[in-house]
Amino acid sequence: MVKRKVGALEKIDADLSSLQYKARKDPSSYREDFYSQYQQYESIRGIFLRAPSSTDDSGIVKIRDLIDFISHVADCYPRETATFPDDLIQLLSQHHDQLQYELRDKVVSSLVLLRNKDVIDSSTLLNTLFPILVSTPSKTLRALLFQKILSDLRNSNQKSTNHRLNKTVQSVLQNIITSDRTSPQGIWAVKITRELWKRQVWTDAKAVEIMKEAALSENEKVITGGVSFFLGSDKEREEADESSDDDGVNVGKLRQKLNVNKKNKKNEKDLKRATMIMKKKEKRKGQPDILNFSALHLLHDPQGFAETLFQKHLQNKYSKLKLDQKLLVLQLVSRLVGLHKLTVIQLYSYFIKYLSPRQESVTSFLASLAQATHSLVPPDVLEPLVQKIANEFVSEAAATEVASAGLNAIREICARQPLAMSDTLLQDLVMYRKSKDKGVMMAAKGLLSLYREVGADMLKKRDRGKEATVKIISGERKEKRFGEVEGGGIEGLELLEAWKEEERQKRLEANGGVDDKEGDSEEEGWKDWDAESDTSESSEGWIDVHSDGEDIQVSDSDDEKPPAKKMKTIMATQEAIKENGVSTELSAKEKAQNLATTRILTPADLVKLQELRMQSGVSSLMRQKKIQQKREEKHADDPLTAADLEGLATLSAKRTKEEKIAMAKADREEKHLSKSARHKEKKISEGKSTTNKEKARAKNFFMTLGKAKGKQKRSLTDVRRTLKGHVDRQKRGGKRGNAGR
Amino acid sequence: MSKITVAGVRTNVKELLDYSNNEKKRNFLETVELQIGLKNYDPQRDKRFSGTIKLPSVPRPGMSVCILGDQHDIDRAKHHGVDAMSSDDLKKLNKNKKLIKKLARKYDAFIASDTLIKQIPRLLGPGLSKAGKFPTPVSHAEDLATKITEVKSTIKFQLKKVLCLGTSVGNVGMGEDELIGNIMLAINYLVSLLKKGWQNVGSLVIKASMSPPKRLY
Repeated sequence: MVKRKVGALEKIDADLSSLQYKARKDPSSYREDFYSQYQQYESIRGIFLRAPSSTDDSGIVKIRDLIDFISHVADCYPRETATFPDDLIQLLSQHHDQLQYELRDKVVSSLVLLRNKDVIDSSTLLNTLFPILVSTPSKTLRALLFQKILSDLRNSNQKSTNHRLNKTVQSVLQNIITSDRTSPQGIWAVKITRELWKRQVWTDAKAVEIMKEAALSENEKVITGGVSFFLGSDKEREEADESSDDDGVNVGKLRQKLNVNKKNKKNEKDLKRATMIMKKKEKRKGQPDILNFSALHLLHDPQGFAETLFQKHLQNKYSKLKLDQKLLVLQLVSRLVGLHKLTVIQLYSYFIKYLSPRQESVTSFLASLAQATHSLVPPDVLEPLVQKIANEFVSEAAATEVASAGLNAIREICARQPLAMSDTLLQDLVMYRKSKDKGVMMAAKGLLSLYREVGADMLKKRDRGKEATVKIISGERKEKRFGEVEGGGIEGLELLEAWKEEERQKRLEANGGVDDKEGDSEEEGWKDWDAESDTSESSEGWIDVHSDGEDIQVSDSDDEKPPAKKMKTIMATQEAIKENGVSTELSAKEKAQNLATTRILTPADLVKLQELRMQSGVSSLMRQKKIQQKREEKHADDPLTAADLEGLATLSAKRTKEEKIAMAKADREEKHLSKSARHKEKKISEGKSTTNKEKARAKNFFMTLGKAKGKQKRSLTDVRRTLKGHVDRQKRGGKRGNAGR
Repeated sequence: MSKITVAGVRTNVKELLDYSNNEKKRNFLETVELQIGLKNYDPQRDKRFSGTIKLPSVPRPGMSVCILGDQHDIDRAKHHGVDAMSSDDLKKLNKNKKLIKKLARKYDAFIASDTLIKQIPRLLGPGLSKAGKFPTPVSHAEDLATKITEVKSTIKFQLKKVLCLGTSVGNVGMGEDELIGNIMLAINYLVSLLKKGWQNVGSLVIKASMSPPKRLY
């Protein structure tokens, strides 16, 4: 074999990378070469450490290359490189502010590389990087470290959660924040936690605890970081989740591409990768959902947290927060109070001085106040606030936006605590529904409809509306007292019971008095409700012991015994129903209770229940209830923003003509086009030509005039000739016909 | 298990009662608990749910109740032999967190008269609501005894930080039919609360305090 001649330059250049390649292929035979390089590295490092800042460029390049080389092959020579990681760590942590930036970055990435090769473990790496991250003045280094730390944490949590590592990192982060509450270093802990929370790497209470500490720190930046995490992290996480879901791999398309196009390796590889991703996704779908509770729910002691937040940042005269930062904190405190139904009585009196229309961003204050209200707030604390809003905001003299914002705020407060309103004030406010301004009118109407539901007797008689009046007269409606918790029932159960009764009657008539289908119908109720349930099991799992819904008797301990119609013949049932329909009406509720205690509602029952609720005679009521429910649901968990209160106020603002037109057109569909017009448009957009017919139709009228005139001026002979020609052609059967020949 | 049957519930309840009453009788009245595991439930999107329902029979007759009331209610409470405290007694606690916590721990439920209940947050601070024992209002017109049974027989479903919840639905001293009635009502109510009905239910287990668990679903 002939030896290839290698140029001197090429030799030096290729030296390390080729050696790296060879050493990785066959570590044992290149041990000597590696060792000599390592020696060289050691000596250069010694020189370098003596004077880190005064080493010349070539020395830096040399040491950089050597570090790169050694870290790449370190896993092949564990014995020789035992001290190498420690050396790097020492170099970085002692001299990171003097190192030349390329060398510094190289050291960082080599450490990460060593981590990826499992030469060092995550905690060593992170313990090295954290102190540098929080102390270095270099922006680029911080960015690099931040990214490396994040990716390392993500990688180590990829396959399964690495609880041990997470725990140590979390306590390091918490220490950063709590060790010195005034320093801005905590912002890095906040940033890292927020990012990992967003990517659902950390979803536990410990991460939330870090952010809690951040919110309670004394540095403004850290505070805002912590507080905005609680206010916005859920949404952020949801968005991140959604965006990662549709990363746009279309297997079908790729498969077709492979069929149609020339076959090549790349397309095949793409297809393989796409199928793999799809498979992974499918697998993930089958797995149980990750439990992602919102950060607000994971808090350990919400009461204590809310209290300290309030005292430290809002009540404290010496707090240095600016107004917008204070508003953020206030939002969080009120959110916590509303969500967990906390008792922070001083909070409400704090609001009083901010409730005036001239206060900056007053709508946010109003929204926070409404958010902080819940059913366990004593009404006498809220009354002065509502009164003040009414006095300051809602008057004939006030601007319409102000009035409508005030009314909306009052409505939101009263939706959560209806007892906060006095009837004179309510009757006064309701009068604004006659206002000429749309925003004010709508807001007042909202208040009116709210009180028709929750406290109709506070309204004037003529304002109560039909349903509420009927209910008050029949005594069905009772005002909710303070502290009362509504005992829930299964809504619409009596309807289901009635429907079942009806069905049974029908079946009885059809079967001639023998009821044997009850069990079957229950069996049917479970059919096809869950794709996962296998059929073999279901065939034996459902035994038809339970033949009649009423054969199991449940004796109620209270005095509300169901009427005595238990063991009776079918005929008796029918007669009883015919005779005393009234009594059955009355006992419908108890019977329904009976149904709930003796049978288990099958999926089909639940569906039917939903249906019956929808179509029942009091559907309008139900709808209202549904609206109410929706509102309550919203109140329970979702934040209330200033925009919600301003929402209707935007209607009353004066607008330009263009804005009005745009708003009117906003919900309209695009302009209508006929089929031919659409066809034509498409043709034009594709740059195709028109037919002769279309050209003739589009021809300028004046150009066609001359020809039409010519026709009029022809001599009789010419007319005759053309006519004759026409007749001839007809006989022949057209221009090209040959009938005459 | 893919289905829940009335007969299945009945046999399980029978076995449970048999175990606790005959096989291994304990020196106290064992409580029967219903434990629920949820599935396919995204706490962020579906929101937390909570609900209360009144069962046909009292699950825990030994529950201790305290009346916080005015003079009239205190007299009535004495008549029924229930512990009672006046607003002066509450003021004596002086908002001391430890004392309030002690009070909350001492009783299983509280009932307060209409006149007093609005002051409870001021007098006692967050202590009671933190323990989930905020009082139920009672007016002078209502019968105190029925109110007490009502409070005793009301159970609460509340989802906290985990996807499983448990509530007491009865005790082993109850009759079989009573217990079944309670269990069924609790199950039906829970299922009607859930957005996707049975598809959200992972498991249903009943268990007396010292018995092995019996899986219903």
